Amino acid sequence: MPAITVDNLTKSFGQTVALEELSFQVEEGEVFGFLGPNGAGKSTTINIILDFARPTAGEVSVLGMDAQQYSRDIRQRTGVLPEGVKTYDRLTARQHLQFAIDSKNADADPEALLERVGLVDAIDKKAGGYSKGMAQRLMLAMALVGEPDLLILDEPSTGLDPNGAREMRDIVREENERGATVFFSSHIMEQVEAVCDRVGILRDGEMVAVDSVEGLRDSVEGGTTLRVTVDRIDDDALQAIRSLPDVTNATVESQDPPTVVVGVEGSKTAVLSALEDRGIEVQDFSTTEASLDDVFQSYTTDTGVHAR
Amino acid sequence: MSTETGASDSTGGSASSSVNLESVRAVAKKDFQDSIRSWLFWGLSVFFFTLMAALAGFLSWANPDDLTTIGFISLVSQVCKLVIPLIALMLGWKSIAGERETGSIKVLLSLPHSRRDVLIGKLLGRTAVLTLSLIIGFLIGMVAVAVAVSEFSFPAYIAFLAMTIVYGLAYMSIAVSLSSLTRSTTMAGAAMFGVFVLFYIVWNSIQSALGLLMNRGYIEGVDYTATNFAGQQVERTRLPDWAQFINMVDPGNAYQNTITLFSSLSSDSIGTTFNEAAFPNGFPFFLQDWFSGIILLFWIVVPLAVAVYRFDRVDI
Repeated sequence: MPAITVDNLTKSFGQTVALEELSFQVEEGEVFGFLGPNGAGKSTTINIILDFARPTAGEVSVLGMDAQQYSRDIRQRTGVLPEGVKTYDRLTARQHLQFAIDSKNADADPEALLERVGLVDAIDKKAGGYSKGMAQRLMLAMALVGEPDLLILDEPSTGLDPNGAREMRDIVREENERGATVFFSSHIMEQVEAVCDRVGILRDGEMVAVDSVEGLRDSVEGGTTLRVTVDRIDDDALQAIRSLPDVTNATVESQDPPTVVVGVEGSKTAVLSALEDRGIEVQDFSTTEASLDDVFQSYTTDTGVHAR
Repeated sequence: MSTETGASDSTGGSASSSVNLESVRAVAKKDFQDSIRSWLFWGLSVFFFTLMAALAGFLSWANPDDLTTIGFISLVSQVCKLVIPLIALMLGWKSIAGERETGSIKVLLSLPHSRRDVLIGKLLGRTAVLTLSLIIGFLIGMVAVAVAVSEFSFPAYIAFLAMTIVYGLAYMSIAVSLSSLTRSTTMAGAAMFGVFVLFYIVWNSIQSALGLLMNRGYIEGVDYTATNFAGQQVERTRLPDWAQFINMVDPGNAYQNTITLFSSLSSDSIGTTFNEAAFPNGFPFFLQDWFSGIILLFWIVVPLAVAVYRFDRVDI
């Protein structure tokens, strides 16, 4: 049974369509990265999953239950780190956690939880004086109350320094090893690639790709970019390169010296041979792997390389 | 369940819109801890305490022989009638709108609470805070008066305190409900101010306005015969029953009327009073003092019900 099933979900606010027939599944036991630029609809999706907002059309089920009808049961078994965290300024960390423990009727120790997120020193300080990172840690500790089956973390690295972000990832791994499914939203690829089994990329309210990190890397044109410096270049040669089966695109980058940029999926030597067959002398060449950032860019912007 | 529109609610009695007492308790406890640390609340409370102490002290000093518990209650109820709405509206103002504005409501609702739990928990938590302020104020008043009054009637005073708490609950219900209707604390603040103006200023002028309309013939009055000071029978006209009822609806009047039910306090001195001679066939039930208890209950239940209906359906 999938942990989250989103089926043809549409959400509009007046004339604005935030989500359009969005469908995806998060499998039980996986760490799913929900990636997309700000404004793509990530928070709207999470809001509907948690019944903060109601769908215009479509259905969402969480842990096998309808997200609207059984929201309370779902939230009983889910730990949530909401976006743009806001703590209760007048309450201490201990009071925050006690509230979550009371609310879930859980048997948990506030100190042990704050120990895990590295906030135990501030346990009896009012949250109003916390830094953004400390508030984020407190919210994470609240999400961990009651060993939830599902963790929903909305932009969890916000406000954390690199060290804090690493600790956050460690906790995500620990929770996943315990058996929890983790749904992790972010607008930064490198934060999800380290922990996620699969990544879904959302753009303008539509899921443009769902795959493993490796699969995403492979799916993008220019998985490998070959840059060849030649003595001359003509359209015939360019056409010949483009017609090669492993080549996804080929463009002339500059004329002085003539340089061809070729996106290659397989054999690079075929490109070089094709050039040499036409009597073009290859003076130099280099290859670059597409970074995951390029992958993300390609899916979420109209410029640069294009997804197939 | 329906999947067609955003306004569709979950089918009746579903798990997400039900009320769970444990949840209500958890929300109320958190809200109590949170709002009791509000400076604004304590500022207003100190104002209330001072008023109580000053009033009790003055009464004991100025009128030691005639001062009775009932007399004290009568005067204090005037103070409470005006000060409690102020404290309740201030305390309830941001209860929901504030959490929606900052986004902390997502912390609250990501835990297994229904939106009804949140509304009821907030109402009870904040009323508990208000009650604490009332108890302190009443203790101050009691200490000052008990010395002066020969026979201090503790039961009457406790009944009075209980009614005052119910009055506070009614205004808190109005405040929390209005706060749940908007995402903006500015709008919520405007609504609180509106309630304040409505019941402090507008409501009191409605009777005079209706009287004016009656004199001009727009409203048909009720004629009756009364005896004047000279013992002569005179024909008079009074406002019809429904117009008289409007005066009863004000929570402050309802509060004072109900106090007369629980004490030997005459209904002539506080709340709404009607000239018996003007009702030769007796008061209609809705102008009797006991009906004020229902009106007070109305002010607790109806705003909350409206808020529950709306808040269950909106996007947070």
